[in-house]
Amino acid sequence: MRVLVTGMGGELGTRVAQLLEGRREVTEIAGCDFMPPRRRLRRATFARIDPRDRQRLVAFVTDFAPDAVAHFGVYEPGSRMGSREAAASTEACTVHALGAAVRAGRLERVAVRSGIEIYGRGRGHPLLPDESAPLAPTTDYGRTCLEVETVAAGLARHHDVAVGYLRYAVVAGSHVPSPLGRVLRLPAVPVPALADPPFSLLHQDDAARAMVATLIQGAEGPMNVVGPGAASPWQAVLLGHRIPIPVAPGGWRLAGRLAELAGAPIPAHVLELLRRGRVADGAHAGAVLGLGSLVPTQDVLGDLFAWATARRLEAVA
Amino acid sequence: MSANYGLDADRFLATDSPLGALRRRVAGRYAVDEFGGDPHLMDLVAGAARLSVAVEGGARVPRLGPALLVANRGVGLLEPLAIMRAVRAAAGRRVRVVGAPELPVLGDALRSVGAIGYAAQRFERFARTWHLAAVPLSATWLRGGPGEPPRRLVVATMGFPLLPVAVRPGFPLARPGRPWRVRFGETLRPPAGTPPDDQLAAAELADAVRDAVRALLEEEQ
Repeated sequence: MRVLVTGMGGELGTRVAQLLEGRREVTEIAGCDFMPPRRRLRRATFARIDPRDRQRLVAFVTDFAPDAVAHFGVYEPGSRMGSREAAASTEACTVHALGAAVRAGRLERVAVRSGIEIYGRGRGHPLLPDESAPLAPTTDYGRTCLEVETVAAGLARHHDVAVGYLRYAVVAGSHVPSPLGRVLRLPAVPVPALADPPFSLLHQDDAARAMVATLIQGAEGPMNVVGPGAASPWQAVLLGHRIPIPVAPGGWRLAGRLAELAGAPIPAHVLELLRRGRVADGAHAGAVLGLGSLVPTQDVLGDLFAWATARRLEAVA
Repeated sequence: MSANYGLDADRFLATDSPLGALRRRVAGRYAVDEFGGDPHLMDLVAGAARLSVAVEGGARVPRLGPALLVANRGVGLLEPLAIMRAVRAAAGRRVRVVGAPELPVLGDALRSVGAIGYAAQRFERFARTWHLAAVPLSATWLRGGPGEPPRRLVVATMGFPLLPVAVRPGFPLARPGRPWRVRFGETLRPPAGTPPDDQLAAAELADAVRDAVRALLEEEQ
């Protein structure tokens, strides 16, 4: 199987490439991104291509002619780029890479990164949505996920390609560039004054394992991939030994500005998570993909704050 | 240390000392579940409520696994609290009460102390977590009018045991010194071989549990 990994330069894309390298059924791996992979890859080849550079991306993908695509070219706002740039890059990467992969003529299966932000958190929306819940995103990132799934669904419909949609909870960990992680690591963290809604997290290794399992099994349809259990903003802040700053409903704009000045912008989907929570029912994905036990949300949260302490070594004479 | 900081999501273990509980809260060493529940806070609230509760038929409360407790409708927040204390005394377990209103602040607060929403789909997901849940005969603990059997919830939990529960108010809704009386009836189940999505069987079972609650109440009188 020849597998293309879009977004290979990110933490998840690199980890997926590493896992794919260990699979015998995967004969060739190629990846692309606007930044190089974060770890050493032994078998995979990488091309540094801006996803908006259509000509180069299409030529690269067409030349590789993948059987399967792990589509991690879905960029979360506030992670490595701003909201507009993330949406534009995601759209370009999805349309160009998946379109070229279909044109190359060998594509059989696709696994796309999506998020549980796709369900939205408006009034009347289910608090714990499963895969059958209506898709009604209420943030830019949620709408981006919906667009990615729509493009991929078109492939499945018109070209007989098996498409699995992995709706991830917020992927977090000590080394994952995540806007939520940056906010929670601030010395003082804004939290809702009148609520403490639950949210789920997903460990980066579980996210990568789910992607590989989807590709290898050719699993189809939407799957919520979430870490068991939940945490809450107040609890997260207290566990991280940060100072909670209660924010009244009208004060979030100011809190967002101050957080941005402190180096941790709060994009709309993270703000929504802090104010209204974000959980989903992950039972279906667990059963379909056979992932075994996932890292619980509370442990992911612990990992988020587990920074290794730098120790200065004394020079030896 | 386990993810829940030593707190069992289902079973009441022991209440911290006031200082210990405060330390645990300040350190953030407590569990939160997907439904917004906070087991440590549930124990604190159930323990702090000075309701005197007399339990009958407590041996019928399952020690393990899920069950739907169907109780007569109350007029406020004390009936669920009485059931919580009765289940804790009878089986050492926590029980989640169905009927949290979908309101921003109140709903969040009630969910954290053990309430869950009424949506059948959400309840089905909850039932799969193997916890106990209590549901009133009407749609919500806060709604007036005659109680309706919880048919949709019975459909969502077909195959799980249904336990009729009669709650008689005590102090402060009755004369001082009179305890709340919580009586658990015989467990009801659908007939063997009933398919899980059999709506008619669920309706019959829901009616049966309502009749059982009425019978328990009449026996009390």
